[in-house]
Amino acid sequence: MNPPGRWAPRQGLVASGGWRHLPAALVAATFVFPLWFMLSGSLREAGLPPPRTPELVPWPLAFGNYERAIELVDLPRYALNSLMVVGLAVPLTVLFASWAGFAMSQLPKRTAGVMVGVSLVALMVPVTALLVSRFALFRLLHLTDTFVPLVAPSLMGTSPFYVLLFYWSFKRVPGELFEASRLAGYGSLRTWWRVAMPLVRPVTVAVAVLAFVFTWSNFIDPLIYLFDERKFTLPLGLRSLAQLDPQNFPLLLAGSVMATAPVVAAFLYVQRHFLQRHRGVGWLGR
Amino acid sequence: MSSRRGLAVMLAPYLLGLAALIVVPAAITFGLAFTEYDLIRPADFTGLSNFAELAGDDVFLISLRNSLTFAAVAVPLRLLGALGLALLLHRRFRGVGAYRTSVYLPTVIPDMAYALLWLWIFNPLFGPLNLFLGLFGDFSPRWLTDPTAAQAAVIVMSLFQIGEGFLVAMATRQEIPGELYELASTEGARPWHVFRRVTLPMMAPTLLLLLFRDTIFSFQANFVPALIVTGGGPPPYATTYLPLFVYRNAFEYLRYGYAAAATLAMFVVTGVVVYLQWRIVRRWRRSFVV
Amino acid sequence: MSGLTLEGIHKTYGDVVALRGLELTAAEGELLVVVGPSGCGKTTALRVVAGLERPDAGRVLIGERDVTRLAPAKRNASMVFQTYALFPHLTAGDNIGFGLRARRMKRAEVTLRVREAAALVRCEEVLDRHPYELSGGERQRVALARALARHPDVFLLDEPLSNLDAQLRVETRAEIESLHRRLGATMLYVTHDQVEALTMGDRVAVMRDGSVEQVGTPEEVYAAPVNRFVARFIGIPPLNILPVTHRGGRFLAGPFSFAMRGNDERLARRPLELGIRPEHLVISTAKGNAVATVALVEVAGPETFIHVDAAGHRLIVRAPGSMRPKLGSELLIGVRRANTLLFDAETGETLS
Repeated sequence: MNPPGRWAPRQGLVASGGWRHLPAALVAATFVFPLWFMLSGSLREAGLPPPRTPELVPWPLAFGNYERAIELVDLPRYALNSLMVVGLAVPLTVLFASWAGFAMSQLPKRTAGVMVGVSLVALMVPVTALLVSRFALFRLLHLTDTFVPLVAPSLMGTSPFYVLLFYWSFKRVPGELFEASRLAGYGSLRTWWRVAMPLVRPVTVAVAVLAFVFTWSNFIDPLIYLFDERKFTLPLGLRSLAQLDPQNFPLLLAGSVMATAPVVAAFLYVQRHFLQRHRGVGWLGR
Repeated sequence: MSSRRGLAVMLAPYLLGLAALIVVPAAITFGLAFTEYDLIRPADFTGLSNFAELAGDDVFLISLRNSLTFAAVAVPLRLLGALGLALLLHRRFRGVGAYRTSVYLPTVIPDMAYALLWLWIFNPLFGPLNLFLGLFGDFSPRWLTDPTAAQAAVIVMSLFQIGEGFLVAMATRQEIPGELYELASTEGARPWHVFRRVTLPMMAPTLLLLLFRDTIFSFQANFVPALIVTGGGPPPYATTYLPLFVYRNAFEYLRYGYAAAATLAMFVVTGVVVYLQWRIVRRWRRSFVV
Repeated sequence: MSGLTLEGIHKTYGDVVALRGLELTAAEGELLVVVGPSGCGKTTALRVVAGLERPDAGRVLIGERDVTRLAPAKRNASMVFQTYALFPHLTAGDNIGFGLRARRMKRAEVTLRVREAAALVRCEEVLDRHPYELSGGERQRVALARALARHPDVFLLDEPLSNLDAQLRVETRAEIESLHRRLGATMLYVTHDQVEALTMGDRVAVMRDGSVEQVGTPEEVYAAPVNRFVARFIGIPPLNILPVTHRGGRFLAGPFSFAMRGNDERLARRPLELGIRPEHLVISTAKGNAVATVALVEVAGPETFIHVDAAGHRLIVRAPGSMRPKLGSELLIGVRRANTLLFDAETGETLS
């Protein structure tokens, strides 16, 4: 916005934020504070009387909560389970989502339009609406208490949204590149692998990370599909922790930090791809 | 590999996934709604009795009301928040990357950890929030034990996770050509005028999409908070929302048919709400012309 | 209407100096065209006048008012953008009236002014349509009408014709000129197209690297350029340049030689260059003409541009369209000394 009275520097140059800095900093601080308290709360000595005033940094710092969390509940094992699920789901998601997105981008306009419409509708369908019947379905196939229901969504790219992301990105690639590849005798699969995918690396990274975050954090599906405690994923393990020692917040927060850290790390690593581009629309394509 | 066949092969897993995980379950839900089913004995066709029971079920009606209230309050707040943040942070200036990341961070926290975190923050006695509020006087709401406060708590939790909406709104704002703003500035438009006649109309389609999506999500997003943080309480059912209602009936009381019926009802309610929004917005759009 | 003045304008972006000590004045009611190669700063200069860029130093005056510190809105200048900047969600009529509504003018009066402006540019029929329904030329007119509706002191036009096809460009050029005459408006017109500059402008300012090389009427800038840059920039095809040496009382430039006269002794002490416009090279069998071999023939309708090699130098000759010499054939070309320009080879300054 260019309110009269302020000059707006040319687009594209990094300017000083002027009046925006203060509200932006305040807002950022507000959004960061939950995480801060998760961390600081986890470092509090368990068993001490509760603090009287809000405590930004507890003293003395106690790392014991982390040990104890691992003792009480088999967090490493759960972490491993989560890792296995993620290790399967994320590559498969990227594969199938990019396949579908690519195929859609090469279809004639009308068919593609239908597919996009179908995807948008599917996106709008409330997941909880399908909880019950998906469960019934997997039960029928005797696949409950396995990782299959947790990985199955990667068939459709975990979410139609990721398919659409790929679709929009591939559509932005000049059609001539694909025509040239066809003239060179490449089939669809080779075109996808050799020509299309290298051109959309940022989107691939974004989808991988989003899928990672989603799958790692997924609580509902493991909750209803996994009964054997040894198969639990990390969020579920966290819940067990909460059931064992409900009032021990430093402990629970320590568990939370361990469950959150990988996701936050992955996110921080890639956020520059979609939060810092000036025209962040390159792959959103809306 | 022939081109056409190759494309079909690549599209197949997606179509299979959609069919198996969305279409078929949707159909099954629809069918189950008319039965009584506990996964052990075969399904028992009961016609419309589930719906009749729902209509008279107090818990269901309370859940419905709670969900509607939540949607009515949380969705506008979230939209305004996403829009406000987008307008604040869309320009590139020093440090803006860090600010944007901070805003998105809470969205990334796993649901379970997020819930435990807030369970602690909202703790009336020694959670940081009340300790902080206590510095200003005697104000320390009983977050998780007072019905209204509990509902407010769930809303607050959802307000911190507007990262995706923020991202979409910001991208849309950045798409508006800078020249239009330069033009407006040479033509002498004041900030409010610019917002109302340039920014808002040009962002309107996306904002509408966000509105619909958020409304739909608001009917299901509060499952984990309701389950973990408030347990659906405080008693009797202050924060029992529709998803929790469905979950309990399906997985705790083993009444899958009944739960499916509730799901269907939820779906219809969502559809009606979105439709009403569509109509209202359409009528409102006329006032955006100069 | 007011005149406008830029005094000593400096503007840098990081390491890049966009404007250096720019001095420019447009008299009231004058159409001043600013031309120059891309990157010379002409658009920046325009934006400084509009208030979209704040100069690091210098003053901007509209009429008698110092507007350097004023926001764009308060300067009463209207700008027509290269890409028209029409609001896609408003009709043409609403676009034209945008600025007026922004100033809280009553609806009835806005409609009046909009009609008035639309009539001036002859786009009344499209007032109810949206930009995406309009052709390029129609959008152009709407953009112009919007600038007119506000009755500004100064009009700023940023390459308004560059997005139009050739035919439309010629028509629209005439329209803008006629508009200018009818309204007696002060217009600052930026373009990279020298044809526009020479045909439209009351005066032309040639810019390079952030400052003005020369300001003058189109004739002055064409016939009396102050330096080699201006001489070469103005004129299509561009000026031929030949290095000059002297021997035995004569200047030698490529295939030509002239007797030295009067001041020439003094001039000859500097390194020199000779400029000859293609239209001044004459193909004839007159005595003393040089031999040139045809290297390339460009047929351009009523004219032909013949590229020739003479004494090891490449020259371009402008000839009537009926001449279509064969490649490799020989021609005799000559030039009158009065039609040449002599430059200081180092400073580029015109010496005669």
